[in-house]
Amino acid sequence: MKTQNSNSGLSPIWNWKITALSFALLFVVGILAISFGPVSLNFVKIIRTLFGLPDGLTGQDRTLLIDLRLPRALLAALVGAALATSGAVYQTVFRNPLADPYLLGAAAGAGLGATIAITSAGADLYSLLPIFSFFGAILAVLTSFFISGKFFAEPNSLLLSGIAVGSFATAVQTYLQQRNSSSLRPVYSWILGELTVANWQIVTWSSIYILIALVILITVSKQLDGLMLTDEEAYSLGINPNKLRVIAVVAATLATATAVSASGLIGFVGIVVPHLVRGITHRVTNRGLLTIALVGASFLVLADLGARTLLSPAELPIGVITAFVGAPFFLVVLRKKRLVTQ
Amino acid sequence: MIKVEDLNVRLGHRNVLKDINVEIEDGKWTCLVGPNGAGKTTFLKALLGSQPYSGSICDSGVEVFRNHDRNVAFVPQHPQIPIGMSVSEYVMLGRSKRDGWGNESNKSRNLVADILGLTGLFGMQNQYVSQLSGGEMQRALIARALVQEPTLILLDEPTSALDLHHQIAVLNNIELLKERGVTIVSTMHDITLAAMYAEKIVVMQEGKVLLHGTSEFVIHSPELKAAFENRINVFTLESGRPVIVAKKDLGN
Repeated sequence: MKTQNSNSGLSPIWNWKITALSFALLFVVGILAISFGPVSLNFVKIIRTLFGLPDGLTGQDRTLLIDLRLPRALLAALVGAALATSGAVYQTVFRNPLADPYLLGAAAGAGLGATIAITSAGADLYSLLPIFSFFGAILAVLTSFFISGKFFAEPNSLLLSGIAVGSFATAVQTYLQQRNSSSLRPVYSWILGELTVANWQIVTWSSIYILIALVILITVSKQLDGLMLTDEEAYSLGINPNKLRVIAVVAATLATATAVSASGLIGFVGIVVPHLVRGITHRVTNRGLLTIALVGASFLVLADLGARTLLSPAELPIGVITAFVGAPFFLVVLRKKRLVTQ
Repeated sequence: MIKVEDLNVRLGHRNVLKDINVEIEDGKWTCLVGPNGAGKTTFLKALLGSQPYSGSICDSGVEVFRNHDRNVAFVPQHPQIPIGMSVSEYVMLGRSKRDGWGNESNKSRNLVADILGLTGLFGMQNQYVSQLSGGEMQRALIARALVQEPTLILLDEPTSALDLHHQIAVLNNIELLKERGVTIVSTMHDITLAAMYAEKIVVMQEGKVLLHGTSEFVIHSPELKAAFENRINVFTLESGRPVIVAKKDLGN
């Protein structure tokens, strides 16, 4: 790589050392997250337990690690990676630096689904909340696709119909909440995002969908740079822009819907993390998508550690942490790098 | 040779291109002229292969629609400017088709550096494309087309919104492509400049080709005036170079 640079005088478009560093970051943050909490666990013993070596954790400590902290950290990592990657992809597809994963009505649809599950009197649908919110999100996005019609020719029409569908779903959700005032608190808590429900069952099913979506998105990530140009330019560079847009939006929506149904609405990750990575690396190329996924995962694992420990033994909603830390950090990056305005 | 036969394009309920029959010669610069709404840009998109059409457009005997085997560069009138992308990254995108996306070769990197120098952009390679002036952006677009090493380049109004100095600089850059044997098809609103640089001119009006031929033939043809509803005057300078200007009584 060095020889190439000195020959052409051009800096590389993506430095893969950054990706390797972000892998290391996720590993360190992950170990920190499962070590700390109201009860601190021995770091060496954690490693021994995870790798199946003798002299690992036993008894309650082992249960705490395996059944509580590990699934929770994994779910945070999966959701963080899903939201950050989807945000970055939506920003490219819609050529809008402020696009976030909830843009096409996924958040409002999931919110409505969750509200239906929580407010349903008589039937115990609370355990089905993830399924309700998942289908709520998918249904809302499909409705946006259906209404826009012109999606293939004009991404902005999809964006606008997403906003309309989102507003409608939010209105129905508010109506249902007003009719069932006892459900206000659980719905509100879900809207702020929560990882307290994490268990191996949720981790297993959400990892299937999220990993499939991430593999698809990272596979097409290099070509996504073509969507930053006009459709004719992208076509002339060997891309079918319509097909690529559909693949990207469907995969990003699958990741978002899964994330939101597993953990509620966790804001800011989808906007902050992509811009943070772009700001630090001075690169907007989607070759950085894997790095964005890894940093998103680390960000949410760290945010969850904060949510669990800052007011210990009480817990803060994770959405509060992501917004509290994310918003000022985002503004600093924005001001320094002038990414949006330039 | 690109052979266009009975080309028709419908957009919604409108026939944007109607029964077009022309031949575009390899290695020559062909310019599409005509008033706004004549269908010039749609014709370029059809030549690119991205615009559905009826009739036939054969490039070296092969139908162009959705044929990704060709290497055609496209320079739009209103490019989408990627926020936060550097000039070198932007120009490097031109190598994506040859090298595969994200796999630029050592040769490509050297070529991009050479072309940046040739188009006067070296030194600006780390600037954001969004920070470039209109003339610099146009040169970045041409640089990207040059590194693509295309057989055909389609340019939509490459000199619009540029001052005269930058118009000449950009047109000279396009001539670099011609020197490399590339076939050039452009639209241009300035017919004087079209006559100066292009070998062939196609005059379009309301989706139809009114006349086509060598620049000299077209410029002195009465149909050219008809295409602009007799609102232009053609003068010939002492050097023999034609100058086309709008009549003052426009609108009367």
